[in-house]
Amino acid sequence: MAVVSPSQPRQLQPVEANRPVISVQHLTKKFGDEIAVQDVSFDVPRASIFGFIGPSGSGKTTTVRLLTGVYAPTQGAVTVLDRSPAQFSQADRARLGYMPQLFVLYPNLTVWENLNFAASLYGMSLFRGKRLKEALAFVELEEHRSKLARNISGGMLRRLSLAATLVHDPELLFLDEPTAGIDPVLRHKFWEHFRELKSQGRTIFITTQYVSEAENCDLVGVQNNGKLLLVDTPQGIRHHAYGGEMVDFRTTQPFDFQAEARLRALPFVRAKTVRTDANGMRIIVDQASTATPALMDWAQQQNIQVQSVEEYVPSFDDVFVELVRPEASHA
Amino acid sequence: MRNVFQGIIRASSFFRKEIFEILRQPRLIATLVAGPFLILLIFGIGYRGQGRTLRTLIVAQADSPVPAQDIQEYGKSMAAQFTYAGVTGNQAEALDQLKRGQVDLVIVEPRDITSTLRNNQRAVFSLYHNEIDPVQVSYITYLGWVFAGEINQQVLRSFVEQGQADTGDLRANLQQAHQNVSAMRLAVQSGDEALARQKQQALSSNVNAVSTAAGVSLGLLDNLLESQSANKNNAAPVRSTLNDLRQNTSLLSDSPGSSNERLARLDKIDKNVTDLDGKLTEFQSIDASIIVSPFRSETKSVANVQPSISDFYAPAVLALLLQHLAVTFAALSIVRERNVGTMELFRVSPLSAAEALFGKYISYMLFGGVIAAILSALLVFALRMPMQGNWWSFTLVIAAVLFTSLGIGFAISIISQTDSQAVQYSMIILLASVFFSGFIMSLDMLWEPVRVISWMLPTTYGTLLLRDIALRGAAPNWALLGGLVAIGLVLMLLSWRLMRRLISSSQ
Repeated sequence: MAVVSPSQPRQLQPVEANRPVISVQHLTKKFGDEIAVQDVSFDVPRASIFGFIGPSGSGKTTTVRLLTGVYAPTQGAVTVLDRSPAQFSQADRARLGYMPQLFVLYPNLTVWENLNFAASLYGMSLFRGKRLKEALAFVELEEHRSKLARNISGGMLRRLSLAATLVHDPELLFLDEPTAGIDPVLRHKFWEHFRELKSQGRTIFITTQYVSEAENCDLVGVQNNGKLLLVDTPQGIRHHAYGGEMVDFRTTQPFDFQAEARLRALPFVRAKTVRTDANGMRIIVDQASTATPALMDWAQQQNIQVQSVEEYVPSFDDVFVELVRPEASHA
Repeated sequence: MRNVFQGIIRASSFFRKEIFEILRQPRLIATLVAGPFLILLIFGIGYRGQGRTLRTLIVAQADSPVPAQDIQEYGKSMAAQFTYAGVTGNQAEALDQLKRGQVDLVIVEPRDITSTLRNNQRAVFSLYHNEIDPVQVSYITYLGWVFAGEINQQVLRSFVEQGQADTGDLRANLQQAHQNVSAMRLAVQSGDEALARQKQQALSSNVNAVSTAAGVSLGLLDNLLESQSANKNNAAPVRSTLNDLRQNTSLLSDSPGSSNERLARLDKIDKNVTDLDGKLTEFQSIDASIIVSPFRSETKSVANVQPSISDFYAPAVLALLLQHLAVTFAALSIVRERNVGTMELFRVSPLSAAEALFGKYISYMLFGGVIAAILSALLVFALRMPMQGNWWSFTLVIAAVLFTSLGIGFAISIISQTDSQAVQYSMIILLASVFFSGFIMSLDMLWEPVRVISWMLPTTYGTLLLRDIALRGAAPNWALLGGLVAIGLVLMLLSWRLMRRLISSSQ
């Protein structure tokens, strides 16, 4: 196997560009009577980052295990790299990279030895030293290469796991909460590298509890209680959560109820509009860019002195809460 | 070809990993090497090969025919396994001392020995002990048997000694008979018939006395002298000689004949007397204890060497240690990977069950081989264990023991859910090996159906094969070696199938 550096990505196997790398249809997994994943369907296009977001116990890891062939589905179908995971050959598996949620390598081996072990598992050439060094450099562990894994911090263990996942330059990556326990600076760097891998044509399926990381994904699947609530782009997720985009509308004088009723009656204003205080309202609209001038015109017609009108972009934490709220109240 | 090469690389990952992990535990390696070596060294130094001596209190009966002083003398001269602790007439007090642990054994003399014997029954010495260990109970039972034998011998010896003392009176009569023969011969030659008749009567009296005194014991004496005689051809039976003497003496008086005939008869009588005297002298010179126990045994071995007790156990210790090492390491190897989640990583990777297992087999075989080499060298060069056989054969057996033991370990590892479960299974295998492999007792002492367990344990094969090679200098028993390897192959196949289930199939 040729030594491959991130700057010289290996040749990917030809796959039809329009066929999804991962396709999941009505996937269900039960453990006894307990349903871990229920009727989940989604596609992951090639060369994309698919974020799988959900609270602890929502079925994210089970889904990853179903996609990698660790678990067999109870119902439904999974296709990964045009093949069912149950039918994976050794060559198919060599195209995958998998980072489990916990550190599963060996505490009594050094950082370097663990990485070397992972490289060997994928049958990498004996002349792989350069590639190992690159992987260590990427996760900034070069200085710690001689330390035993049991003597490094939890964050370093995550970085070592990630290096072990990337060392054989996989085509499709399954990363189960790779940024858990990583400091914000390094987390940012991780995402930069994920984007770089994507730009090289690699596909990344990533789970995370950091909802804000959804921003970095091309597609986001929101999972709760084993059910996939929706799959969309980050913008689409926001739009879906609130029924549109949000505009913060503030006036110089307190806003009376008649004025509020007239504003709510405007055709581009959605029902979820809320009053934030006596002078302000957060208005849900179809599109913030067109709604902002329309609101200014309406205020002028109504002789309302406007202090500010600007688009409000909610955090993904808020978006996520908004999305799972109906589920939680239903439960 | 590329796939094969990659497979080798994947297997080698385990080889390196396992070796590195072991090397990170120098104390473990030191214990594995030094532990058995020191145990054997201390065992060799400490083992004395002697049974325990028992503090023995004798209870003498009030009506005992044996004087108390004789009992004391006997107690002090008992077999080495008994330490005389005194004699008492109070059985209850003696048993109380036994319960308090002040003595180890109480021997109670039988009551009314004379009546018991007259009733044609054996008198019973009772041996009381306070042991619960079946081995110690067997030992004391054996000592009881030895004790009874000693007592019986002592009684016989006293009879023989009495017989030897009685022989002194016989010899005095024979001396007189000899003198009367000589006097009668002179009287016949000088024609003094009166003196001749007088001496003839005295001679008859002497012969009658000898016949009466010898009595039934002459049969025993006859057999003893015959068995002791160096030259069987010259050994006329004592009884026959005495009969001749009596017959010749009777003929001398009943049909005296001519002077020459009487002189010839007297020569025969004189020869009979001399023969008898010689035999009685010989009888007197033989130690009574030899007459009572004329035979003893001597054991001689045709084996090349007579190993010491530690030498004998050394191959068994080596086999047992290697089995335990291999079983434990292998048992913990896979169960840990399964518990921490590494197995999940393997399932997603291109690694196959065969590659993982092959890598682990090779690494542990190498590690076990190094430990075995160091231990064997220490046993042979430091503890001086004899090495009569071929080192290659020895190495082959060790490799087979390791191979089969690893199979057991991997099978345990795959079926165990936790580390502690794997350790428990390993300990059960160790315990079974101690009891069933011939390590502490010969396989012959086990009921045959139970020996099935023995023949499932690598230590059984290893102990027999290594002892034969090292201590007898024999070639390996290929049937045994083949059986061991066959079990190893079956276990490897089983481990591979179980491992495939773990690595290759979805749950």
